[in-house]
Amino acid sequence: MKRIEEQTYYEILEVAPDATSREIQQAYEHARETFHNDSVAVYSLFSEQEIKKIQSMIEEAYGVLMDEALRKNYDRSHLSPLDLKWPKSEKLPETPESPMEKKTYLPFSEISIDVGEGPYRGKMLKQIREKMGIDLKTISIDTKISLKILAVIEEEIVDRLPVGVYLKGFLRGYAQCLGLDPKRVIEDYLNSMGAGKKK
Amino acid sequence: MGQTANASPKMIWTIGGGKGGSGKSFITANIGICLSQFGVKVILVDADLGGANLHTLLGVLPPDLSLSDFIQKRVSNLEEVLVSTSVPNLQLLSGAQDLLNASDAKSLQKRKLLRSIQHLESDYILVDLGAGNALNVLDFFLLSDGGILVATPEPTSIENSYRFLKSAFYRRLRWSVTSSAAKALIDGAMDRKNELGIQNPSDLIESITRISEEEARRVAEEVEGFHPNLILNQVRTKKDIEVGFSIRSACKKYFGIHLHYLGYIVYDQDVSNSIRKRRPLVLENPRSRAAQCLTEIAAKLVNKHQMAVRLQGEEQ
Repeated sequence: MKRIEEQTYYEILEVAPDATSREIQQAYEHARETFHNDSVAVYSLFSEQEIKKIQSMIEEAYGVLMDEALRKNYDRSHLSPLDLKWPKSEKLPETPESPMEKKTYLPFSEISIDVGEGPYRGKMLKQIREKMGIDLKTISIDTKISLKILAVIEEEIVDRLPVGVYLKGFLRGYAQCLGLDPKRVIEDYLNSMGAGKKK
Repeated sequence: MGQTANASPKMIWTIGGGKGGSGKSFITANIGICLSQFGVKVILVDADLGGANLHTLLGVLPPDLSLSDFIQKRVSNLEEVLVSTSVPNLQLLSGAQDLLNASDAKSLQKRKLLRSIQHLESDYILVDLGAGNALNVLDFFLLSDGGILVATPEPTSIENSYRFLKSAFYRRLRWSVTSSAAKALIDGAMDRKNELGIQNPSDLIESITRISEEEARRVAEEVEGFHPNLILNQVRTKKDIEVGFSIRSACKKYFGIHLHYLGYIVYDQDVSNSIRKRRPLVLENPRSRAAQCLTEIAAKLVNKHQMAVRLQGEEQ
């Protein structure tokens, strides 16, 4: 077993070396939630000092893996040729249980994690999407929301935003596609729009 | 005999966890019924030697014969204690009810009991354990092909589950080493304020390596081979469900072990209604949300078993 400081950034975030930006983003949010100061899952297992160290390693791992150039450099110096050879579609062959685990996770896939990030305004959603390397067209295909509406949401063009229930539906779809907490996104977005109107 | 029995070896699952009241017996009874409904032969063993009540959750009156009779040598064969239930394919081995010190069964009796349980003829054997970290409970937990921890998403329950897991983990490691020096290090590691400065399993392995690389290698192998499972009971929110994944990640970082999150059971008023009626939930109200969660977990156990069998076959 490896100490946290001996683990690769991929091991710290529990993702495969071929993980996509979206997978890394989701894993990062999960790791942040798990090792949050108030997390019920860690306080009785780790000391405060250990939690702080893990938190900082998580941030470091995220910072490098989400930056294409830094990640390439890191991969070259830290991964074995075998790691780098894995085809995109394959997962880490950590244990024979991985497929089961995947099966277990599927019914929970709609669950997103409240990362305490935000507020989720249009600009923030755009930033997260771009960090994940997903273009708006992909989101549009995944969510069946028109490109125009997605652009209006991101740019916060208030007078062209769909009305009430429709906007909520679009925000929910967009948030789910990015692996964010839809409730939080809707709340933040509508609050910010409300504030904007008041101004 | 069920379908699985013809093709697969028997599977033993022990259901434990530090805290009382987390739902271990309820889960054992209902998953046992679900498995038997899949057409496989199932035996439920009530190994909560201090407070057996699995029979009540199955709607069965306290049987005349129980594990007490086996422990007290009134019967020589464990099969004699088995009772049939109203559910086809499902038998019960009732726990000791009248023996105050049954939970302190002597080591020899315990080993005999463990061996006899392993030799029972069935496709699946589910062993319901008592609360706490007593050595008897830990040894039963480690007897299985896969120990299942049951916790609720509350801090107290999670804290006790970790305590239980830590005790089981270190006991397993202790079995793997031979030198008294390595055993002493493992015993010391259990106390976080130990003078050796061992704070976690990584520190322990490092300390053992200094004594013997061979012992350290064996310990590392034990860590690799330890794959407990987790069921979260009484979840109320999506955030509660996520706690299971967080526990899995925390275990990976702390122990270096792969904890398999089998699933969760939602909080459901139908559960306490069924317990009050002494009718298993999956029979009383199979469409309830909690019953559906139980059925899903039982199906996963069967899949896990079949996968293990397949892997075994490929290795041979």
